[in-house]
Amino acid sequence: MKVGNLRRIVLDVLKPLEPDIVDLARKISTLSGVDGVNITIYEIDHHVENAKITVEGEQLSYQELQELIVENGGAVHSIDEVAAGKRTVEEVVTHQD
Amino acid sequence: MKNNRVRWSSFPEFLAEIKSYNQIVGITEIARRYFVMNAFDGILTTIGVLAGNYLAGVRDLSIPIQIGIATSIAMGISGLWGAYLTETAERKRELSELEKVSLIDQSDTSIGRASRFAVIIVSIVDGLAPALAALIVLTPLFLDSVIQNPVLSYALAGGTALVSLFVLGLFLGEISDANKIGFGLKTLMAGLVAIAINFLLGAE
Repeated sequence: MKVGNLRRIVLDVLKPLEPDIVDLARKISTLSGVDGVNITIYEIDHHVENAKITVEGEQLSYQELQELIVENGGAVHSIDEVAAGKRTVEEVVTHQD
Repeated sequence: MKNNRVRWSSFPEFLAEIKSYNQIVGITEIARRYFVMNAFDGILTTIGVLAGNYLAGVRDLSIPIQIGIATSIAMGISGLWGAYLTETAERKRELSELEKVSLIDQSDTSIGRASRFAVIIVSIVDGLAPALAALIVLTPLFLDSVIQNPVLSYALAGGTALVSLFVLGLFLGEISDANKIGFGLKTLMAGLVAIAINFLLGAE
């Protein structure tokens, strides 16, 4: 069975304040196939924060990414966007949007 | 970093992991606090041992040496045990608070490991600090065969204690980036007060 080329993953993650996003971004950037990472915090609580993690690259491994997040005390709340294939396809705006 | 469960395969990776633990739980700060507090305790307790023996007329220095070593061992054990139990309880509480809000079992994450590592490091520092401080203060007594004057040995040990207190104060000043000499004098004052009270009570 062929395994598709995962190019972009966007996750909604709940994570502890430490390790901080600088450290987490660095760690994610070392995963195989990763070309770039963006982590944006959109909500901060007393002990935890909600982060939108965007990872782009070639042949990304979702499992590795999820394991790394869990290893650093976080939890994936949802997978908000995924792009796979020969090229990255952006979301298309339709009349209904 | 294909499998994050394999935590390190080389010394630099091990150091990076330790650095990461330090960043997560701030081990350096806690250990530094424990070190100063307990070294301070160790020095003042040893001042008590020295003053007590001197005022009781003990001139055979093997006695204060024995008492000093026994006291430093007891302080070391007390520090190690006390810090281990206190830090374990404190870390468990913090971890369980985090688990409640994140709804994730944190025991096998880098945070859980950092917590357990912090307990070990802090316990060792807490145990070693008073014991080492006490032994440093006792050094002139160990050198009695060279000094050959018990009263002078007591005085030198007292001086060592006061210098150690002053250095501890300088260290505090360095940490707080404040007036080092001021901090040094404050810690030195504690030693002088302890000696003065001992001598006032012993003079009866």
